[in-house]
Amino acid sequence: MANSPKPNVTLKAEKEIREEKDGAKEMDEPAEDEEDEEERKARATARERDAQRQLMTIEELVQTERNYLKHLQLCTVTIHSNLQKLQPPPPNLEIMFQHIDEVMDVSSRLLSLLDQTQIHHSDPKYLETLCDSFLSLSQDIEMAYKEYLANYNNITALENSYKQKEALWAEMVRIVKSSAPDVNASTLSFFLVMPVQRIARYPLLLQTIQKHTDPGHPAYPLLEHAAHTAVQINCRINEYKRFREVADKYKKTENLTIKDKINRLSAHSIAKKTARFSQYIKHETGMVPKLKDEEFEALAGFFFVLESGVSELHDNLEAYLHHLQRFLRCRPEEADLDLEGDKTALFSKEISVALRQWIYPSYEERLKTLVFKPLSSLRELMAGPRNLICKRQDKLLDYELIEEKSNLSFEEQAIANTYKTMNTLLLTELPQFNGKALQILWASLEAFSALQRDLAADMEQLATSFTHQLTHSLLEDGEFWKWAETSVLEGSRRMESLCQSVQCVLDAPIVQALNPECESRLKALTTKHGSEKIYQLTGPVVGTRDLDLTLSKGELVAVVSEMDTRGDRRRWLVDAGGPRGYVPALKLVRYHQITTDRPQSPHLRVTPTAPGPRRHSYTPGAQPLTHTITTPCFQVYAGYDFTARSAHEVSLRAGEQVRVVEPHDKRGNKDWSLVEARGQRGYVPSNYLSILPSEIASPSFHYR
Amino acid sequence: MSWIPFKIGQPRKQIVSKTVERDFEREYEKLQKLEEQTKKLHKDMKKSTEADLAMSKAAVKISGDLLSNPLCEQDQAFLESMNALDTAMKRMDAFNQEKVNQIQKTVIDPLKKYSNVFPSLNMAVKRREQALQDYKRLQSKVEKYEEKEKTGPIMVKLHQAREELKPVREDFEAKNKQLLDEMPKFYNSRIDYFQPSFEALIRAQVVYFTEMHNIFTDLTDQIDQGGLTDEQRKQENEAKLNELRALSIVADD
Repeated sequence: MANSPKPNVTLKAEKEIREEKDGAKEMDEPAEDEEDEEERKARATARERDAQRQLMTIEELVQTERNYLKHLQLCTVTIHSNLQKLQPPPPNLEIMFQHIDEVMDVSSRLLSLLDQTQIHHSDPKYLETLCDSFLSLSQDIEMAYKEYLANYNNITALENSYKQKEALWAEMVRIVKSSAPDVNASTLSFFLVMPVQRIARYPLLLQTIQKHTDPGHPAYPLLEHAAHTAVQINCRINEYKRFREVADKYKKTENLTIKDKINRLSAHSIAKKTARFSQYIKHETGMVPKLKDEEFEALAGFFFVLESGVSELHDNLEAYLHHLQRFLRCRPEEADLDLEGDKTALFSKEISVALRQWIYPSYEERLKTLVFKPLSSLRELMAGPRNLICKRQDKLLDYELIEEKSNLSFEEQAIANTYKTMNTLLLTELPQFNGKALQILWASLEAFSALQRDLAADMEQLATSFTHQLTHSLLEDGEFWKWAETSVLEGSRRMESLCQSVQCVLDAPIVQALNPECESRLKALTTKHGSEKIYQLTGPVVGTRDLDLTLSKGELVAVVSEMDTRGDRRRWLVDAGGPRGYVPALKLVRYHQITTDRPQSPHLRVTPTAPGPRRHSYTPGAQPLTHTITTPCFQVYAGYDFTARSAHEVSLRAGEQVRVVEPHDKRGNKDWSLVEARGQRGYVPSNYLSILPSEIASPSFHYR
Repeated sequence: MSWIPFKIGQPRKQIVSKTVERDFEREYEKLQKLEEQTKKLHKDMKKSTEADLAMSKAAVKISGDLLSNPLCEQDQAFLESMNALDTAMKRMDAFNQEKVNQIQKTVIDPLKKYSNVFPSLNMAVKRREQALQDYKRLQSKVEKYEEKEKTGPIMVKLHQAREELKPVREDFEAKNKQLLDEMPKFYNSRIDYFQPSFEALIRAQVVYFTEMHNIFTDLTDQIDQGGLTDEQRKQENEAKLNELRALSIVADD
């Protein structure tokens, strides 16, 4: 009885046969097993995909390392020697190639370690070997790239100087192009920038492998360690780069000693400042300082100004750091649009990874250590002097009361002494405090500026290193943005048209003929409103408010107004062939009239076999659309037994052939038809009749 | 699909082969993942640019407040330096704003537009599923009648059922075909669609950081002639703070 599919064993793969058998079995099993099976299959496919991606990335790491080394060798051997032959040779050419040997050496050592092992890439042990090799060479990698990157600025500066000399530059470009015809390069820096990119790529490659590796893999901890080390290497290389930048800058100039800088603000210059400051205070506050305390007021005034400045700067920096941390928490580079093959997406990701994993984090660290923390400490230290100044003020009031007296009591002496001590102490030490605090403030601002510069330098170098390989990098800024914006516009147009084409198929109604009831309504509405106004309900609607209609799916209506009386465009006023009211616009779709060619059988008028509004589906009685039949090939039959209850009626036996004389009674009522059966004529209910194609209902067909 | 409860009345004849159904599911899953990741990227890019703008504004506030500090009034050197710092911050902020605008137009907006296609596709998949269910139901109805005794009324019902089935089957097949065509096409379109966005993102950063580098090199040359290493700076700060701590007026009483 069961119609299980019969597999053709010779043609189908064994797996498919198994699955089809499973499929046949599954149809009889309860739902949960089917779900588990599906889940297991899904997980297995996901694991397979991950394994593939992991293998791909491992191979990419090895392959790109090989290509990278090849290019470097091409540059240092071929191009270098060709450039040396130039007459006259480019000045300082050796500087361009100063540290590249160490980089090439460490790269070839890595490759030889990988090549020595006889294990194949897809063997899980290979991953272990890869990580081990990387980790064992990590210190040497750091040493080599450290020096190279610290000197890279010299390389760019030197190349720029070559560019200034037109004739020389043209020659150099020619040599580069002819020495490396397979590579799309025209400058030395195309090759010499590769180590800058390569060292930044290790973290991303290792992290990608990690992403596609199961944590249960035996080499997983090693892999994690390797990825982490790769990031750390980059951090330290950057730090070293900065250190060297500073050291080199002042190698030639006289190195001002640190002590000199500390003494930049001498006590004398502070006194000058405070004197001016007291004038300012007087001017601003209209205050007349008492008791020759001008000097004190000036010092205290300066102190308070410093304090509020430091406090404000501290709070502003805190806000800045907060936003910086928010910025670092978003990790757009983690979104996986499955673009691992696309070059541009990859470069963008590398920049993002570098930005978020070491460039900005180091910036944040330095900001905290060199700017924020000193200011925090300073702020805290300011509490002491502030309190003391307030106390002195109080003591001063006490002192003023007893000052004029000639004979002071013991306690009064004490009060006087306390005040004088405090006053002297502050007068002596406040200038020092103010001076040093100001120096700290200066130093943090200097550092702040230097940090911004360093951040920008790192990011510029990284981002620019990719521009060689971007397709539109040669365009000027204006041109580039025009191109970018037009491309983006193009893309959005394509998306829109895609949306529309999907909508079209969605909205296309099932092309079906209508039952007579619908047909007549369609005719009436079209006559009254025009065929462009005819819409169809895509689903049932239930009227909730006054004037809302309740209609079923598939019903045809004519739209009278595309909004209600209050201007709401979501409610449309429709004519449903009698009742008028509102339906939600979302449930309406244009109805495209189908023309049907009806076959000429005159026997048709069978009402629907179910009462009430039908679901929009094909109903019997109307003819299929595709035929144009000129001769009737349909025959009317009695669908059911019928017993005549009067002389006007005729009895029917289910299945017998009848001929319809008139499809209505004498009063025009279509519920009764006048038929001829077994030689007798009489009325029968129209819905007891069926029409069938003649082939099925031919006399030779046994239907009893 | 496994999430549909197994109904009695499923047709015997396999309407859609398991392989085709599997392929369909696989393509649809890819799209669902792409939808999720695109939305995530959009959200992260938006948040990241917001924070970026906030950082820049905070930096401008730093220099602005310093410039309006009374210290500037009476120290010419301080005033000049704060002026330079403020100018630098404001210029950087302007470049940052421009960078963000470009990123908004060429990266963030396109991401949103791409995401907007998914609801239509999801709806199309739902409608296909509905059509499939209708198809299965009518198919099993036809099969039910096919199994019964061939009486007149049964034949009539069978014929009616078959006629009812035809357009529903055609509708399902059209929807199925369209989706099997469109889904991989749309999935593959992501590469070409996003390529300009990524290039624009890189370019915007190159332009911004080049400017920023120039601005702050000039500024640092002007106000930071010391040129100290980080270690030296740290030592200097510690030294000064210690000298302060050594003062009596600083000690807590």
